[in-house]
Amino acid sequence: MSTNLNNNNEVSFVPPFFKKIFEYIKSTPVWKSIFRVGYPDTMPKRMAVMRSSFYMHIFPTKVGVHGMKIKYGWCMGGITFFLFLLLTITGILLMFYYVPEEHRAYNDMKDLRYVVPFGMILRNMHRWGAHGMVFTVILHMIRVFYTGSYKPPRQFNWTVGVLLLLITLMLSFTGYLLPWDQLGFWAVTVGTNMASATPLLGYEGPFSKYLGIQIDNDIRFALIGGTRIGPNALVRAYVWHCVGLPLIATALMIFHFWRIRKDGFSGPM
Amino acid sequence: MDKENEFEKRVSRRKFFNIAGWTGLFAFFGSSGAAGARFFYPKVLYEPASTFNAGRPDEYTAPAGNEQAVVDERWKKSQRVWMVRTKEGIYAMVAICTHLGCTPNWFPTEVRFKCPCHGSNYNTDGEVVAGPAPEPLFRAKIDLAPDGSMIVTTGLLGIRRANLQTQKKTLGVFWTEEEKGVIWKPPYFLQLKA
Repeated sequence: MSTNLNNNNEVSFVPPFFKKIFEYIKSTPVWKSIFRVGYPDTMPKRMAVMRSSFYMHIFPTKVGVHGMKIKYGWCMGGITFFLFLLLTITGILLMFYYVPEEHRAYNDMKDLRYVVPFGMILRNMHRWGAHGMVFTVILHMIRVFYTGSYKPPRQFNWTVGVLLLLITLMLSFTGYLLPWDQLGFWAVTVGTNMASATPLLGYEGPFSKYLGIQIDNDIRFALIGGTRIGPNALVRAYVWHCVGLPLIATALMIFHFWRIRKDGFSGPM
Repeated sequence: MDKENEFEKRVSRRKFFNIAGWTGLFAFFGSSGAAGARFFYPKVLYEPASTFNAGRPDEYTAPAGNEQAVVDERWKKSQRVWMVRTKEGIYAMVAICTHLGCTPNWFPTEVRFKCPCHGSNYNTDGEVVAGPAPEPLFRAKIDLAPDGSMIVTTGLLGIRRANLQTQKKTLGVFWTEEEKGVIWKPPYFLQLKA
């Protein structure tokens, strides 16, 4: 059996001819422009990989072993982010068939379930993924609380996390109306009527009469685009759900991850 | 130091442009924000008409025997209104729960309206007899058309409700004496012969 010894006297099974081709490819400007560091066999090289790669630079250049323990972090933030990506992809696909119009919305949802190829699994992935994201984001919050990871220097990232929780709940709420079924319709009727009890800004809230707030100029009116849940409310829920809130969530998540990277992973108790 | 230099010192070019620049920036973002907020308040609504013709009063059956009132549900689905015929007359009640806006159901055997969302119960006067609702069901206005049919107005609920509330000392689940003076008179109540 013929083997080749490389510079470090390690056994290599790659024939010299292929090795030469590899070495040539690795020496090309194209390869070097994409993979800048080379095989990360030393600590500085490993850190350089994290620093110079777009995808890897989400992570800190160095992570303690404790930070990698499933028992410590549950990977709940990561699972939440994964679900967000899953919901983005399935949501975009659902948008190809769903039209947020009074007479079409419910039927389009039914079509997605029974007529569209793979529509049933797409819709179910979106729905259960959404339930799951609310669940995991709350578990993530509980974990951060119990490990004390909200303490300095991470206080501000906790605040950003609270905003992300609120955005998640708002995404969940706006998505609730879109099937335009009895459940979502009355849930959103109830939910937006609560907004009318907002102090100062809601027409049923305290102090609002001093500002001249009525049913047609209060905060609920701006949310649902009318005095009752109707076509305007459906379009508003749709645009906030598909464009507005995901953009805000993405911006906050970029900041959230960047802060984790800068503050480092919290240690075990 | 002459006067001009002193002025220059107090309001330097740098200071002037600093203030002007920040003022301009805040004015721009402030007005953009205000315009953006205004954008979410539509000027024109394409909502269903807030009045409808409920027909002539004699099309509604009057209560017989021990019955206090007959609740007619023919307009509930299309207009969210119950026409309630009592021995003295007829009134229109809005089928919107005063708690959080669901549609209550009428149960004739129990003589109660019950909301499916959070369980508020109302009697035929619209008063809250159980559940979380903070105030009675709203009344809609009834005007008589020249041909004798009733024109029911449900629009601007909040405004009409606020008008009713101004006569209220406290928010209550039963009609106050002052409110009874409002709801048992036209345009909220149409007197009829028994």
